[in-house]
Amino acid sequence: MYNVSEKTKALVCIGSGGVGKTTLAASIALGEAARGKKVYILTIDPSKRLAQALQFKADGNVHTINHPEIKKSGGLLQTSVLQHENVFTEFFIEAASVNSSAQADIDRIKNNKLFHQLSTKLGSSQDFTAIYKLNQLVRSGKYDLVVLDTPPAQHTWQFLQAPEKIAQLFNEGVAQWFRESQEKAGLVKRVLNLGTKQVLRALENLTGSEFIIELSLFFQAIQKWQGHLEKQVLDCHKLLVSSTTQFLLVTGLDSSRIKEAQLISQEIIKEGYKLTTLVLNRFPDWVLHDEQTANASSNDSPRLNELKNYYSRLIKTMTVEQKNFQKNLVLYKSEEVRQSDININGLLKMYSEMRALDL
Amino acid sequence: MATRKIHFFTGKGGVGKSTLAAAFAQHLSNTADVTASESSSKILLAELSERSFYNHFFTPSSKKGSEQDSLNFDLEQWSPDACLREYALHLLKIESLYKLFFQNPVSKSLIQVAPGLQELAILGKATSSPRKHGPPTLHDEVVLDAFASGHFLNLLRAPKAMSEIISFGPMSEQSRSIDKWIRNPDFTFIHIVTTAEDYAVTETLELAKVIQSEFKISPKIYLNKTSGLTISSVNNSDETVLTDLVERENLARQQLQAAGFKFLEIPLNTSESNIEMIKKLSECFVRVKHV
Repeated sequence: MYNVSEKTKALVCIGSGGVGKTTLAASIALGEAARGKKVYILTIDPSKRLAQALQFKADGNVHTINHPEIKKSGGLLQTSVLQHENVFTEFFIEAASVNSSAQADIDRIKNNKLFHQLSTKLGSSQDFTAIYKLNQLVRSGKYDLVVLDTPPAQHTWQFLQAPEKIAQLFNEGVAQWFRESQEKAGLVKRVLNLGTKQVLRALENLTGSEFIIELSLFFQAIQKWQGHLEKQVLDCHKLLVSSTTQFLLVTGLDSSRIKEAQLISQEIIKEGYKLTTLVLNRFPDWVLHDEQTANASSNDSPRLNELKNYYSRLIKTMTVEQKNFQKNLVLYKSEEVRQSDININGLLKMYSEMRALDL
Repeated sequence: MATRKIHFFTGKGGVGKSTLAAAFAQHLSNTADVTASESSSKILLAELSERSFYNHFFTPSSKKGSEQDSLNFDLEQWSPDACLREYALHLLKIESLYKLFFQNPVSKSLIQVAPGLQELAILGKATSSPRKHGPPTLHDEVVLDAFASGHFLNLLRAPKAMSEIISFGPMSEQSRSIDKWIRNPDFTFIHIVTTAEDYAVTETLELAKVIQSEFKISPKIYLNKTSGLTISSVNNSDETVLTDLVERENLARQQLQAAGFKFLEIPLNTSESNIEMIKKLSECFVRVKHV
């Protein structure tokens, strides 16, 4: 049986694409809510079936899942789909409200061409908005557990580095540099060092002067909120390394994924993040059943036999490889959920059938 | 040598696009007429990643003997960072200025802010041969193991977006010229890989439609890692998992057909060695010509 520890306030599901991470995250959120917890699940890109099953709607609203099991236990499950651009704007509004800035200031930033680019095109801004929203939900105190299904990233590291990358953007040094660059030469109080000047000119050469102007306007607009923006980013990083935030790595059973999971888990644990659980999703348990019941009948087609041999070989590889994972990491397996079972009952079953890997 | 064609491989994360891109590169090098005098291959497989997938994929299990030698394409890693460096150096001309720019600690965050700069640099490199811009290329065709769906669209859209933000200057001219080549259906080819999972198929169809309407390029679609089983072949087994799998694959085929896209099916390859897998998979592409 798998349970999220009572101390855990945030559960971050990470892992490479194509392993059913969103489905697994949803089943854990449901299972925990059915145990009486107040749970919130924040997802990014749910499949149609899953969206139907759990009322994941990309409308920016919070939806409550009503199910007898949750009601009986006194739990709560709320869901929403992350709206990157809106959350990125919220991030600025929060900082602005602390400084009681006028609506005009907020509009100015929203109308900046670069702001739009930042919120939609920058890879790390999507990761960052996910972490920012997670932090907001945890801080609200309304939930016992917030589950985050992370954006599809090529590498988990990109996700973890998002606050740092965003912080670089609002770094006082960089901003200052751009504000001064727009002032007339006579007004520059200090002489910019030669290197800085040349770099700026090089950037202008590369991107054209309009980009530099937009950039300067952007930094001028956020000047008042700079301190608070930096503080918010720092808060997000603090949440990720907090002892009440737990990471769960989802992977699949194939040789390159197993190796990848080993590397990722080593790195993450070394860096101080609390990675406690690894789930082998879509585990082909049917191959084990078949072996036990000596069902490998001669009636099977050659291709079916080929597939059985392929999966048995992978399970054997895993038997050897599981010793090479970090000691504190608990390995679980979860079976493929049938498409027709992607509904609340099917997902609750998936949660209750997660088992410690025992090969 | 001038590069005649570039092939992008994209698709949802985890569907096996890197593996298929490698198999496609192998397929191209099998069918290319290689003259004995040429020492290097005519085909290049380039991965757009900060961390290499293929280094780990082709080694160390494949180190034994000359197994690796049987793959006859060249391999390069085009990290966005390195592409930008190359591109900047070409525009800035002066080595010392370029060093100053890229070794400055502040520059990294500026590159982060500059929208589409890295994407533009990647496409600049990919289209440098027909644009006669940059160093001469050594390869006849280039296979790019590109980003996953959403990020891939950002990549393709970057030149146009950049030319809209910056309306004059060298960067603007470059962007327009890159955009023109990206939209040339005799030069740019797009391959989308999917598995039979419904969300992967949905994403593939959405992406294919956008590419068709926005870039006027007909993407090639691959239904990857299919079981190769039929309902009758799993009926002997009691496993509902298998029946579900076959049903899901049938549904995926129907969805792709209904949307009017031609696709090639690639059955899951069970080879133990990656090199062997690439060679076997490369044979799947031959069939596409007979369809």
